[in-house]
Amino acid sequence: MGALTCYGWALAFLLVGALVTFFAGLRTRRLGGLALMFAIPGCGLALLAAVSVFLRGTVSTDPLFTVPGIGAVLLVRLDPLSAFFLAIISVVCFLAILYSYRYMDIPWFADLSLAGYYAPFLLFTCATMTVVGMVDMFFFFIAWEFMTLSSYALVIFDRKRKERLRAGFKYFLIMHIATGLMFLGALVIYSFGKSFTFDGLRVTLQAMMETHPATVHFALICFFLGFATKAGVLPFGDWLPDAYPAAPSPAAAAFSGTMSKLGVYGLVRVFYEILPASNYSRTYGLVIALFGTLSIFVGTMTAMMQEDSKRLLSFHVIGQVGYMLLGVGLGVYFLPKEPNLALVALAAGLFHLLNNAIYKSSLFLNAGSIFYKAGTRNLNEIGGLSRLMPVTAATAVVASLSIAGIPPFNGFSSKWLLYECSVFGGARMPIFMGLGIIAIFISAVTLASFLKFFGASFFGKFRIPQAQAAKGDVPASMQVPQLVLSGLCVFLGLAPLLPLRLLYTSLLDIRPQLGVAGFAELFSGSVSSIRLSFGDGVVATWNPAWIALALLGFCLLAWGIMRSGGASRRTVPSWYCGEPHSDHETHFPAHGFYQPFKQFFRVRIGKYEWEGVYLSFKYPSIRLREDNWLTRLVSVDRWFFYPVVRGFYRLLVWFSGSHVGIPHVYLTWAIVGVLAAIALVFSLH
Amino acid sequence: MSQNVLLGVINVLLVLLLSPLLEGTIRKLKAFVHSRVGPPLYQPYLDLLKLLGKEEVECEGNALYRWSPVVAFAAVLGVALLTPMGLAPPLDSAGEVIVFVYLITLSGVAVMASGIGSGSPYGVVGSGREMMLILTVEPILAIALIAVAVKAGSMKLSDIVAYQLSHPYSLSMLLVTFSLFLAVLAQLAKLPFDIVEAETEIMEGPFVEQSGPRLALFKWSFYAKELIFASLLVTIFFPWPRIGTPALAILVNLVKVAIMLLLVGVIDSVNPRLRIDQAIRFYGALIFVAFAGLAFAIVGS
Repeated sequence: MGALTCYGWALAFLLVGALVTFFAGLRTRRLGGLALMFAIPGCGLALLAAVSVFLRGTVSTDPLFTVPGIGAVLLVRLDPLSAFFLAIISVVCFLAILYSYRYMDIPWFADLSLAGYYAPFLLFTCATMTVVGMVDMFFFFIAWEFMTLSSYALVIFDRKRKERLRAGFKYFLIMHIATGLMFLGALVIYSFGKSFTFDGLRVTLQAMMETHPATVHFALICFFLGFATKAGVLPFGDWLPDAYPAAPSPAAAAFSGTMSKLGVYGLVRVFYEILPASNYSRTYGLVIALFGTLSIFVGTMTAMMQEDSKRLLSFHVIGQVGYMLLGVGLGVYFLPKEPNLALVALAAGLFHLLNNAIYKSSLFLNAGSIFYKAGTRNLNEIGGLSRLMPVTAATAVVASLSIAGIPPFNGFSSKWLLYECSVFGGARMPIFMGLGIIAIFISAVTLASFLKFFGASFFGKFRIPQAQAAKGDVPASMQVPQLVLSGLCVFLGLAPLLPLRLLYTSLLDIRPQLGVAGFAELFSGSVSSIRLSFGDGVVATWNPAWIALALLGFCLLAWGIMRSGGASRRTVPSWYCGEPHSDHETHFPAHGFYQPFKQFFRVRIGKYEWEGVYLSFKYPSIRLREDNWLTRLVSVDRWFFYPVVRGFYRLLVWFSGSHVGIPHVYLTWAIVGVLAAIALVFSLH
Repeated sequence: MSQNVLLGVINVLLVLLLSPLLEGTIRKLKAFVHSRVGPPLYQPYLDLLKLLGKEEVECEGNALYRWSPVVAFAAVLGVALLTPMGLAPPLDSAGEVIVFVYLITLSGVAVMASGIGSGSPYGVVGSGREMMLILTVEPILAIALIAVAVKAGSMKLSDIVAYQLSHPYSLSMLLVTFSLFLAVLAQLAKLPFDIVEAETEIMEGPFVEQSGPRLALFKWSFYAKELIFASLLVTIFFPWPRIGTPALAILVNLVKVAIMLLLVGVIDSVNPRLRIDQAIRFYGALIFVAFAGLAFAIVGS
């Protein structure tokens, strides 16, 4: 079966699944099972399609459908880059749906119909998969819009709280402004070249760059704004910390694993594939890298201040997307002059994207597991959960160390490449050195933030707001996705060359004429070891397998030394200087972490407060005063309806004065009336 | 390959066996400054031996708390494999300066896991301080090492040492050495930056619930860190003279390390402890010195 057949069937399964789950009328777990029955073949076939593309190369269909008049063609093409995203989407979405099977069972969602959850979820999966297969901007936007709408349905699914509806509205509004901008950009280019396909746009741009520089800039800015907003890059990603926590945890995991990443996908498509290497690339590479670093800094610093687990993770989505943009920006910037460095940077950014999709989904699922057991997202109210849920605790620690970039987990490998690229890029353009240093600093902030996350929730004294939680860890169907994801964290950490080779070849596949060195020359290593060179000599080395082996050996040595004295062991309660203290008194809540450090980043001026470095203020609510002219103009009641009604009423009151109750008066009125009528008739003739 | 293994064994043995002796020297020096006689030079060995035989009294922490000393010890020994100690760094083909920085952070993570995992408020406070110190010191470490790497045109420590050997001192190196030296003080938990343990204040912070062999591992890893950081500083910033004989090279390196650590000891014994916010402010200012060094390195002076 060819890749396209698999892809088509996958989309069909998911689409039909969305319809069936919507109308099935089943409740709770049964509906989850039904959704899984469609998700398993759908995601499995999509993964198969991706693997087939990796093995056999790009596949594309003939035009399936043409929109008459505008010349947009429905054309599916799966190149290795699409396949890369397709693989991520299929794995993450499948694991999230599997996780939902039991997660959506909690009493919190009991009075909501799950059809409103599974149907949009399957539609969302289908739409994201469709987005990566489209090579025509027109149909790309249609798929994109389906993705936005279905994710909107997921954001507002839990509509018991008003702020979630508000978050959903904000999401809806900002997304549509962004999509509108992107479409505007595409239309502007279309108006010159009459083609919506990526190749057509590329040819048009090439021709326009000489003749219409301002128009090209306008279109590119539109594209940048649109995709950056979807990716959650600050300051355009302000919707993200509201919308992601509002969605149920598995949905948030799928969003952060796939939807945010598609923003980066769009940027790569536009600025790497469509935009020819030129001075424009340099400008926009710098812009992308700068906005990326802004997101890294502001997003992560703000995340450190958060005490709500999902909000904390959402700010990290912003921060981590910044790392990817740093890589993509570096790549786009150096594309015209230093293609070797450019491709390594692009591959590093996309490798970070892959890693981030894995550990960030895992973390959202971990937060969901905490909610499942403890019934709260507030990190101040929980503690010591590792005793209750050891598997979740272990996976959360692995994912946290990965996101913090601690070797030998996967986050380190990609961050390491990004640092190398920014250092060696910085030697050619010093500003990138500064951006790289900020990225290194923020990596430590990420560690701090996740130390707080898992320290407050899993370590310390056992503490849970619900009166009593059920014994044992979360159910197996919730453990498996977390275990798979943290297993991937370890595996990709130890074998970074595997995905890097795929990414490098898929990037080369898009732009074969760049004239860069082959993979073996730049990365020259086996499965595990990277020996990085940018053309002249090995400049950096990283071999996770050896380091991991050495660490393991030293762990054994340390254990041997520890046991060498034959010391006996005794477990005692914690020691509080000899005084008895209750658990409540010795609890160290998440709020207390890093207070002195946080003080350096907290500013308040009037009603504007910088939460960390993130400006947080209440949006002004529009309320006009009573005597405002606009209010008066708008309230038709006041100046038209009520005066007219009152006048009519007064007229009636006055007229009712004639109702005196004396027969002679009525008779007189009648005679007068007849006379008047006769006079009228005669005067008319 | 076999040569690398030999180098690795030499480095690990050096670190394991000689670091307590250096610690003993520092203690002797501190005693001299305080006008005391002080413990004998071999006292740290006795401390470790005694702790290894003592009963382990552990609180009801989780697995990470129990395994943290092992991880800290292993991470520090892993760093020892990346550090040049008179000879070439043994695992040069497996990691360079950024790996170095992050493996050191891994040992910091283990210290913090010990504090937070114990559930004692003293431990959590100590861990929080450790994290804040890492937040401020790690960038300086990274900037300093990157500045040297930029000059050498390679991130590999062997290339950096080779470059430094053949090039004279420059302004950027002066700034970088200064900032790196001060950053190392915090990494080694020496006064005035002995804020994490602060025995008189929070009772050794992260180690409050560690005892017996596990405390011994932590202490040993700290002694080892002293040797490693001092070695890194002197081989990168004072690599002269070039010595051909391996045994002599190791010996000369050790002498330089001892001198460096004596300087650290003097600073340690004449300074009071800073508060954590003062330390953050101090390093916040120092980071600009490091940045200046990096800027000079980029422009090539």
